Amino acid sequence: MKLHEKILTHFLSCTSPVDKEGYLYKKKERNATYYRRWFVLKANLLFYQERPADRHLLGVIVLEGCMVQMLDSDGFFPFTLQFGSGLKTYRFAAGDAQTQRRWVKALFLASHSYLSSLVRDLGRQYEEAKQQQDSTNSCSSSKTLSSPINSLLVPTLGPFSVVREGRSFSASAALLPPSMPTKMAAKKSPKKWPRRNAHVTPLNGPVPPYGEWPLVGSDPLVEFSKLHDFYGQEVQKAREEWLRSRQTEKEQHEKDLIDLA
Amino acid sequence: MRFNEKELVCLSRQPSEMAAELGMRGPKKGDVVKRRLVKLVVNFLFYFRTDEEEPVGALLLEQCRVEREDSQTFSIAFLDEAERKYLFECDSEEQCKEWIDSIIKASYEFMRRNLIFYRTEIHRLTGKDPLEQYGISDETRFQVNSGSQLMARETSSL
Repeated sequence: MKLHEKILTHFLSCTSPVDKEGYLYKKKERNATYYRRWFVLKANLLFYQERPADRHLLGVIVLEGCMVQMLDSDGFFPFTLQFGSGLKTYRFAAGDAQTQRRWVKALFLASHSYLSSLVRDLGRQYEEAKQQQDSTNSCSSSKTLSSPINSLLVPTLGPFSVVREGRSFSASAALLPPSMPTKMAAKKSPKKWPRRNAHVTPLNGPVPPYGEWPLVGSDPLVEFSKLHDFYGQEVQKAREEWLRSRQTEKEQHEKDLIDLA
Repeated sequence: MRFNEKELVCLSRQPSEMAAELGMRGPKKGDVVKRRLVKLVVNFLFYFRTDEEEPVGALLLEQCRVEREDSQTFSIAFLDEAERKYLFECDSEEQCKEWIDSIIKASYEFMRRNLIFYRTEIHRLTGKDPLEQYGISDETRFQVNSGSQLMARETSSL
């Protein structure tokens, strides 16, 4: 399969934010040796090269459908990126515990599916906050915002960590469809998304059975475009209001000028 | 450049609401229209030969410009090369609109902007930062002012 590399390298070098960068050790599968590499995390892509100044990129890892696992080891700070049975496990090590922790957290939050569920949650909270403000403008009692998913990232979270040698985190596990046997101790049960006609390319390879490993955006993604239409409208409305308020401001100023003249 | 191909192919097999056979034409002179099964998964556009399980290719939908070319055709331009476009022929005007919309909204950067908007608004309306409950309010990724800010380099003990 052709991955259009120029598009990726262009994305890397453009002005959108770098989410994290730094040195890490990466284990080579062939000779089981760790090599120091410079990593740059941007959106859901992890690029790596030998040194920061290098023009030549050694590689990129697309961070979807993987689980980050922190491992405990004395004087050594390893962690892995696991893509599921039959697929790769990338092995890394940091120079110290803090670096290890920060990278594990950053990688956990990096996926597109994580961001999409976060945006969905916040969109809901935004709607509630607006409604509450509209309906009880003079009320001074504090209102708690609902948090539909208990926590997408809590280091001590038990339900979806595959504990082998340490703590592991999987953002996409939080997106398990309600019909699946889930042990998530969520305050609210996930909303039941209506099933739609999903166009699926016939599976004929080492793809693990559904439910065995974190699926990328299964049900949530189904409603994704609809939700974005909805939220997009909010953004649009806010922008229009802002533009209108600027316009009235502008008109005010012009009015003053005319009076003075 | 190395990449996790097998895993990306696996990703391309995920269920997607935006998957259809379209006429696709590459950006180079001399490229002709070919029928491809085009599929949108996260911020990637995969395209397959009909009935094949592995995609022919994958296009990252970041820093690209999606445009309406005519009533049933849209284009995607990458690398700031406005004239080097991929063309996609749809079966209807509605389908064309839906694809344009979905592609724009699939970009990670688009979603990030929405997140920042909600975060700011919720904070304004409630006085609370909604990311605190998730323990992620300090992440560079979700900062309101993130532009070309770079995090301090992790030199550590290496």
